[in-house]
Amino acid sequence: MDINAILAQIDTEISNVNSPESLEHFRLKYLGRKGLLTQLTSTISGIAKEERPVFGQQVNSLKNKLLSLIEEKQKAISVSSKQQKLEPWDIGMPGIAQELGRLHPLTQVTDEICSIFKRMGFSVVEGPEIETEYNNFTGLNIPLEHPSREAFDTFYLKDYPKMLLRSHTSPVQIRVMQSRKPPLAVVVPGRVYRPDAVDASHSFMFHQVEGFMVDEGIKFSDLKGILEVFAKTIFGKNIKMRFRPHFFPFTEPSAEVDISCIICKGKGCSVCGRKGWLEILGSGMIHPNVFKHVNIDFKKYTGFAFGMGVERIAMLKYGINDIRLFYENDLRFLKQF
Amino acid sequence: MKITYNWLKDFVAIKIPPRELADKLTMAGLEVVSLEGKAGDFVLEIEVTSNRPDWLSVYGIAREVAAITGSKLRAYSVERRAYSKNLSAIRYPLHANNSRLFSIQIENKKDCPLYTARIIRGVKAGPSPEWLRKRLELVGCRSVNNIVDITNYVLFELGEPLHTFDLDRLVRKFASSQVLPFKIIVKRAKNGEEIVTIDGIKRVLNEKILVIASEVGEHVNTRTCEHANTPIAIAGIMGGRDTEVTEGTKNILLEAAVFNPIVVRRGRQALGLQSESSYRFERGIDLGIVEKASSRARELIEEIAGGEEAAFEINGVSKLKPKNITLETENVNNLLGENIPPVKIKTILSSLGFKVKAKVKNSFSIGVPSFRQDVNLGVDLIEEIARSYGYEKIPQSIPKVSPSVTIRERRDLVSNIKNMLVSLGLNEAITYSLMDSKILNDFNASSLSAIGLMNPLSQEQEVLRTTLLPGLIRAIAYNLNQKQDYVALFEAANVFLKEGNAPCEELKLGIALSGTKTILLNEGAVKDELGLLNLKGIIEALFGRLGIKDYVFVNSLQGSQAAVYINKEKVGLMSMLSSALLDKCGIKNKDVFTLEVSLEKILSYAALDKKYAPAPKYPGITRDISFILKTENSVKEMLSELREKGRPLLCSLKIVDYYKGKQIPAGYRGLTLSCLYGSSERTLTEEEVQPIHNLICSMLTGEFGAKMR
Repeated sequence: MDINAILAQIDTEISNVNSPESLEHFRLKYLGRKGLLTQLTSTISGIAKEERPVFGQQVNSLKNKLLSLIEEKQKAISVSSKQQKLEPWDIGMPGIAQELGRLHPLTQVTDEICSIFKRMGFSVVEGPEIETEYNNFTGLNIPLEHPSREAFDTFYLKDYPKMLLRSHTSPVQIRVMQSRKPPLAVVVPGRVYRPDAVDASHSFMFHQVEGFMVDEGIKFSDLKGILEVFAKTIFGKNIKMRFRPHFFPFTEPSAEVDISCIICKGKGCSVCGRKGWLEILGSGMIHPNVFKHVNIDFKKYTGFAFGMGVERIAMLKYGINDIRLFYENDLRFLKQF
Repeated sequence: MKITYNWLKDFVAIKIPPRELADKLTMAGLEVVSLEGKAGDFVLEIEVTSNRPDWLSVYGIAREVAAITGSKLRAYSVERRAYSKNLSAIRYPLHANNSRLFSIQIENKKDCPLYTARIIRGVKAGPSPEWLRKRLELVGCRSVNNIVDITNYVLFELGEPLHTFDLDRLVRKFASSQVLPFKIIVKRAKNGEEIVTIDGIKRVLNEKILVIASEVGEHVNTRTCEHANTPIAIAGIMGGRDTEVTEGTKNILLEAAVFNPIVVRRGRQALGLQSESSYRFERGIDLGIVEKASSRARELIEEIAGGEEAAFEINGVSKLKPKNITLETENVNNLLGENIPPVKIKTILSSLGFKVKAKVKNSFSIGVPSFRQDVNLGVDLIEEIARSYGYEKIPQSIPKVSPSVTIRERRDLVSNIKNMLVSLGLNEAITYSLMDSKILNDFNASSLSAIGLMNPLSQEQEVLRTTLLPGLIRAIAYNLNQKQDYVALFEAANVFLKEGNAPCEELKLGIALSGTKTILLNEGAVKDELGLLNLKGIIEALFGRLGIKDYVFVNSLQGSQAAVYINKEKVGLMSMLSSALLDKCGIKNKDVFTLEVSLEKILSYAALDKKYAPAPKYPGITRDISFILKTENSVKEMLSELREKGRPLLCSLKIVDYYKGKQIPAGYRGLTLSCLYGSSERTLTEEEVQPIHNLICSMLTGEFGAKMR
C-alpha cells in the first residue's frame, strides 16, 4: 500500500470512529506494532537511496497527521462519553427556572389601553383619588342639584367639606386643562369610587381610563377615527362599531360607543343581552361650559373626551363574568393572566 | 320608561315594525333596552337620559318617532271650554255672595311657579274600563280606580303628573253644599309635621319639604275642615291617604302644577320616597302642558266616570320667555366634520319642534320650544342635528396629534418596579381602598389619622385605608385557605392620611409573603421556609436597579421588625406578624412577613442616570474562609470593619454560604466568606495577597471571636 492510498482512506475512516473502542482499533491499524505505518517503514530498504529522505518525510507527516486526528477524536469522544455516564435524560421532566409572578389583569389591561393611545401620541397623566366637589362635578358642568348627578353617586369625606372620592377620572381633565395649554392629547388611568352595593357586576371601587384631546379644529369625526383605531387594536380588526347618541353633562354632542358582541359576533347572546352590541365607552365633544371653567377659549379650541371602565374591558376581553374576582386576589385567578 | 307601540300610534302613523322602530329610537339616543310583544301590543322599555324630561311621555316620544320616520305628529288638542261663561253659571247657586268657590295660595312662587286645580262634581269612582287598565298595566302601572288611573294615564301620555283629592274628605261638608269657600295652600311643611301617605306610611316632614294644605274660607273654622292648614299631600311626590280618591268618591279636586325640581329632589331624598311624579318633577316639567294635561284628564273623567266640572282656578305663570339661538351652518359642519346642507339642518330642527328662521345666508335663528329646556347653546342644537342626521353617517378622520414632550412619568417607574417584583416571583394584588377602622387598631395604626366617609355603605368600608397591609393579609389568608403552600403578593396603591388641614394621599408598596416555597433544582426540590431575609432580598434587588445605594436596615422588637432607611430617612418597615394578629386574620400555623414602603420616598432617591465603570483589567485572587461565629455577633459590623481594614487590595467581601446543623455547636453559625483581592495597576502575586489575607483571618479569630473550620 502506498502513502497516497493511505492518506486517501484515513479521513473517511476517522469520521466513522465514534467510540473509544473503534478509536483504539483505528490507532492499532495504523500506528500499532504491526500497523500500516510500521509496514510502510519496513519497505524503505526497497527504495532508492536518493529517494529515501523524501519518503522518510512523507511517512513522518503521515504519522503526525494520524496522531493529531486521533487526539482530536479522543477529545470529541470523551465529551460525549461524559454525557453517557449521566442518568438517562428525560425531556418530560419539569424545566428548572425561577417562577415568575403576574401583573394583575386590571394592570395589564390598563397598560394595554394606555399604550395604544401612547402610540398615537397621547401622554399619560394621573390625578388624586381624593378630589374637590368642583373638579368632580361643577367644573365638568354637572350642576350640584340635578338628576344628572344621579349617575355619579359619590362618597363624601368626613371632616373635609366639599371633598370626595372621585366618582370618575374626568376631574383630571379639569386639572390638566387648568395647568397646560392646548394642544393636549392625554390619557388618564385611575381608581374611582361610587357607593354601589357589591354584586357580580357592581363594585364600590373600580378603574377607569379617561382620554381627551384639545386643539384648534378637533372634530366629532376625529373622535370616531381615534376610537375606531383603539377598539380595533384591543378587540380585533373584525369587530363592528357604532356611535349611539347619549347624554353626558360634560360633552355635547355625546355618544356611547358599542362594539359588535365579541362572544356571539352580533347575533345576540346572554353577554350582550340579546342585542348583539356591547357598550364599551362613553364619549363626546367637550362641552363649551367645561372650557369656560378652565379658561380655554371655546371659540378657538374644540376637543373630544372619552372614558371607559377597565373592569368592563377586562371582563369582555378575558370572558370574566364576576367583577368581584378582580379584588379577591385568588392566585388561581391571578396566575391565568 | 315603558311605552307601547299602539299608544304611540295614537299620535303618529308608524309604518315600520316595532323591532325596526326600536333600533331607530336606539340610534337616535332613546336606547330601547327591551322590546316585548304583550296582549296584542308591543312594550318598549326606553332608557331616557336625565336631560330629556320631554321623553318621559308617550307624546314626547311620538314627536321623536315622527321626526325620525318622517311622519307627521298629530296635534294634541283638547277642547278648551269657555270658563268665563259656563263656570260662572255654576258658581252662582253655590255661593250667595258670588265669591269664588276656592282659591289657590302659593307661599313662594320659586317653589311652585304654577298651580291649577279644578273641581269635578258627581263622579262615580269605580273600576276602570278594560282598555285603560290594560294600557296602564302594559307600562307597569297598577290599576287603582278609574279616577286615579286617568291621572296616571295622562301622566304617561303627556308627562305631567296630576293628583286628585276626594273633595268631601278634604272639605267635609262639600257634599251637602254647605261648604264655605276654601283655600288650597302650597307651602313648606313645618318641622315635625306628619302625614300618612297613600302607601300607608307615616312620614315626618321638615321645612325643606313642600306640601299642599287646605284651609276653609276667610273665617277659619277648624271644625268644618278636617285638615285645617295641615298637609294633605307632599307636593310632587305623593298624596295623603286621608284625602285619597277611593271607590265611592263623588266630588274631586284635580291638581295640575309645576314644582321646583330641586325642592322635589331634596324632599324625595329626605323622605327616601320616589314616585313617577317626583321622577318627572325633578327633571323639569314643561309649563306649557299643565293646562292641557288637566283638560285632558277632565275630558277622560267626564267620559269614563261621569260628573261635571264645577270650578277651575289657576295661580302662577304658564309661559316662559321664548328662547332664541343663532346657529351658523359652518359651525355645525366644523364641529362634526361632515357637510350637512342647510336645507337638511332646517328640516331636522323643524321636525323636532324648533322654529327655524333663516337670518342671512347659512345662518339661522332657532326658536326653542318650551318643552326643550335642555337646549341653551349652539352645541345643543348641533347634537340634535347630528343624532337625527345619524352618527353613523359622520365620517372618521384622524387628527394631527402634536407630540408633547413629557418628562419621565412616575407611572412608568412604578410600572418598572412592578415588573421587577413580578420577575422576583411575586403576584400583583388589587385590594379595596376602603376598610373597617377597627382593623387599623389591630395593625397598630391609629384610626384617628384615617379619613372617614360621610356616607359609607357599611362599617367594613367606613374609612380610607392608611396602610396597604390589611388588604394584602386578607388576600394571603384567602389563598392559604385555598390550600396554597406559598403566597407572595404585592400591591402598589395609594394610602390616605389626615395631615394638618388637608387630606393627603401617598403611593405605597406593600408586600406580603407566607408559606413554604419549594424551589426545584437539578439536585431535586428544596423547601425554603420564608423569613424577613426574603423581604430584604427583594428590597436590595429593587434598590440595586433603582441606583439607590445609601440604605440600611435597622432591627427592632427582638428582630421581628426591621425599618428601612435611605440616607437616614425612614422609608418603610418590614415585620413578621405577631401570632395575636394572625389569629385575628384567621391564619393558622403559618407565618406572614410583610413590608410596606413609601414609593414616593423611594422614587425621590432613585438615581436612574447610570455611569459606566470599566471592569478590572487585571484578574484578582479569590480566597474563601470558612469559620463559625457566635449567633449574637453581628455580621453587618464585622463585614464593614473587615472591608475598611482590607483596603485597598480587598475589592469585595461577601458571605457566600451559611449553615447551621449538627457539626456546628449550639449558639454558633457556620459562615463562608469570599474575599476578592485585586489591583487596577497589575496582576497581584500570592506574596502580595498573603499578608492582607492573614490580617483578615486574624481579625476574624481575634476581634470577632470566629473559629476557623
